[in-house]
Amino acid sequence: MKSFNLKHSLLFLPAVLFMLLPLYGLLTAVLNSFGRHRGWTLDYYRQIFESNRFVTSLVFSLQTALIATLLSILIGIAFTRSFYPILEKMAPRVSVWIPMLFPHFVWGYMVILLLSETGVAAQLLTAAGWIADPQQFPILTRDPDGIGIILTYVWKEVPLVILMLLPVYASIRPEYYALVDTLGGSAWNRITAVELPHLLPVLMETSLIIFSFTLSAYEVPALLGTTFPEMVSVLSYDWFYGSSWQKRPLAFAAMVSISLVLLVLSFIGYGYLNKARWRAMRGSRS
Amino acid sequence: MLLFTLLLAACSGGGSQKEAWKDMSWETIEEEADGTEVRLYMWGGDEGINRYIDEWAAPRLKEAHNITLERVPMDAAEILQKLQTEKQAGKQDGPIDVIWINGENFKNAKENELLAGSFTDKLPAFNEYYDTEDPAFQTDFGTSVEGMEAPWGKVQFVFHYDADRISEPPSSFEELQNWIHDNPGMFTYPRAEDFSGNAFLRHVLYAQAEEPSDIYENPLNEADIQPAADRTWAYLKDIQPDLWRSGNHYPNDLTELDRLYSQGEVLMTMGYNESRAESLVADGVFPESTRSFVLEPGSIGNTHFLSIPFNSSNPPGALAAINFLLSPEAQLAKFKPDYWGENTTISLDQLPEDMKQKFEAVDRGDSVLSTEKLEESFLPESEAAYVEWMKEQWFDEVVQP
Repeated sequence: MKSFNLKHSLLFLPAVLFMLLPLYGLLTAVLNSFGRHRGWTLDYYRQIFESNRFVTSLVFSLQTALIATLLSILIGIAFTRSFYPILEKMAPRVSVWIPMLFPHFVWGYMVILLLSETGVAAQLLTAAGWIADPQQFPILTRDPDGIGIILTYVWKEVPLVILMLLPVYASIRPEYYALVDTLGGSAWNRITAVELPHLLPVLMETSLIIFSFTLSAYEVPALLGTTFPEMVSVLSYDWFYGSSWQKRPLAFAAMVSISLVLLVLSFIGYGYLNKARWRAMRGSRS
Repeated sequence: MLLFTLLLAACSGGGSQKEAWKDMSWETIEEEADGTEVRLYMWGGDEGINRYIDEWAAPRLKEAHNITLERVPMDAAEILQKLQTEKQAGKQDGPIDVIWINGENFKNAKENELLAGSFTDKLPAFNEYYDTEDPAFQTDFGTSVEGMEAPWGKVQFVFHYDADRISEPPSSFEELQNWIHDNPGMFTYPRAEDFSGNAFLRHVLYAQAEEPSDIYENPLNEADIQPAADRTWAYLKDIQPDLWRSGNHYPNDLTELDRLYSQGEVLMTMGYNESRAESLVADGVFPESTRSFVLEPGSIGNTHFLSIPFNSSNPPGALAAINFLLSPEAQLAKFKPDYWGENTTISLDQLPEDMKQKFEAVDRGDSVLSTEKLEESFLPESEAAYVEWMKEQWFDEVVQP
C-alpha cells in the first residue's frame, strides 16, 4: 500500500515542478496585496472595493467574460455537432483551427482592421451602397459594451471549443443514438440523454479555461477596450505600471480577488463533476 | 548550502569590484572599456531612433573605442521592474549597462536605489560641451539629478495639423476650444495614462493657471492649484461633447491618435517631440502637408537622460558609451533629420566654430517649427507628481459619469 502511495506522489512531481513558478508568483502577489513591506493590512482590499472605478470594472469584466464564454461554447457546440463528420477529415479540421495559430494580440488587431469605423467592413458596406458613408457604421470596437472584446474572444475561442469537443463527439458510439430512437426519443432526447453526459466534463473544463482567460488577459482589452468602463486587467496594469509604485498593492489586491473568483468557480465545477461521476458509478439517476 | 555560500561569495566579490570605476581616471576607464560589450536598454518604439543607434552609433563606437553596443528594446517602466527584481534577488551582475530614462522613472529608480551613482563629472564630453549648470540638467521633473544621469537630448511638445485642411491653426487654448466647437468630431487626445495624453492635459492645466510658473515652480499641492484644476476640468468637459466619438472613447495611446489622423478621421495629432512628424511624413503615414504648431501660453519640454544601473556588469564600458553618445559628432547625427532629428542638449556656444556651423546648417524639415519659435514657447516640466495626479483626477472628473 505504501509503495502505491509513493508511486502516486511521484506521478505528481512533474505537475508540482511545473506549478512552482506560477505558485511562487501567486504567493508573492497575495503577500504584497496584504502589504508585506509596509505592515500587514486589509486596507488595499478595502480601498479597491470602495472605489467605484474598480467595482464598475469588475462587473464589466465578469459580464464580458461570461458573454464571451457562453457564446464561444454555444457556437462551438453547434458547429461541432453539425459538422463533426466533415471535421474528421484533415483539411477542414485544420482550417477551423487556423485562428488558434495567431496570438490574441494579432487577432485583436485584425478585428480592428476589419470592424473599426474606417475598417474593411465599413468600406465594403459603403462601396456596396448599404450605408451612405463609413461614419454610419456601428461602433463595434473600443465600445462601452465590450462588443469588440467579446467578438475577438469568441472568434478565437470557438476553435478551441471545437478542438476540445471533437474527440468527444467522435467517441460517442452510434448505438446510443439508436437506443434513443428505439425507445421513441426525440432529437432533443438525443442531446440530453446521449451527448450532454458525454460532453459535460469537457464543457465544464473548457468554459473554465475560456472564462479565466477572458477575465484576466490584458492585451485584447487594452487594444479593443474603451476608456470607461475598463477591464480589470487593464486597470491593474495601469496600477502596476503607473508612475508611482504606491498603487502596486492595489493591482495585486485586484488580481488576487480575480484569482479567488476563479478558484471558487473551479472548485464548484470540480465538485459538481465529482458528484455526477459518483452518481454515475452508483448507477442512480436523478 | 554550498551553493548558497558560493552565491554569497560571488555577491560580495562583485560588490567591491563594482565601485572601482569611481576612482578611475578617464584614461583607465577607456582602457577598461576597450573590447567590451555594452547593453543599452531603451524604449524601442521608434524606427528612426532604433536606426540611429544600430546604424549610426554602434558601428562608430566599435571603430573608435572597440566597444560593441547592443540595443535591447524595452519600456523604461519594465526595465525598472527588471532591475527591482534583480535587486531583490541580489543579482550583482546584471545584463543592463545603460538605460534611457527620465522623469518619473528616474525618480523611482533613484528612490529605490537602482542606479550606480553620480558619474557625469567623469565624462569629458559633458564637462567640455555642455552647460553643466543648466537647470534643465540639474532637475528632472522636479527630482534632483545629482549627476546620476547624463543629458542625452531634449524634446518639446507640439501639435500637428494638415495644412491642406486647416488654413490657420489655433494659437491659444481658448482658440483651440472654439475650433473644436466649430469642427465637432475632428479633435481628440489620448487618455491620461498615455504619456502624450498626460502631457496634453498638463498643458491645459498650465493654461488655466494664473501663470504657468504657478505649476512648474511649485511641488504638487492640491489645495493651491484647486482653482486652476477646476477651470481645467471645466475646459475639458466643455470640449468633451465635440471631441471625436463625442468624447465617449479616448484613444488608448498616441499610436491610435496617429492612426486617426493619418486616416483623416481627426484633423490634429500631437506628440512630445517637435520633429517626430518628419519621419512619419517620409514614410507616407502622415500627409505631406503636415505642419506643427504650439499654443499660448507655451509648450512643455523636457530633457531625457542616459544612466547606469546599480548592477551593470561593465561600468567602464557604460561610461565610455555614454560619453560617446554625448559627443558633438553623435549629437549632430542625432540632430539631423536622417535618423532621429531630435533637439540637442549640447551648448552650441561651447562648441568649436566649425562644429557650431554644422549644427546651424541642419535643416530639420518643413514640419518642424523654427528654433526661435520653439525656444520662446518653451515651458519647463512640472514635478513628476503632477503626472500621477492628472491620471487620477482626469479619470474621476472627466471620464467617470
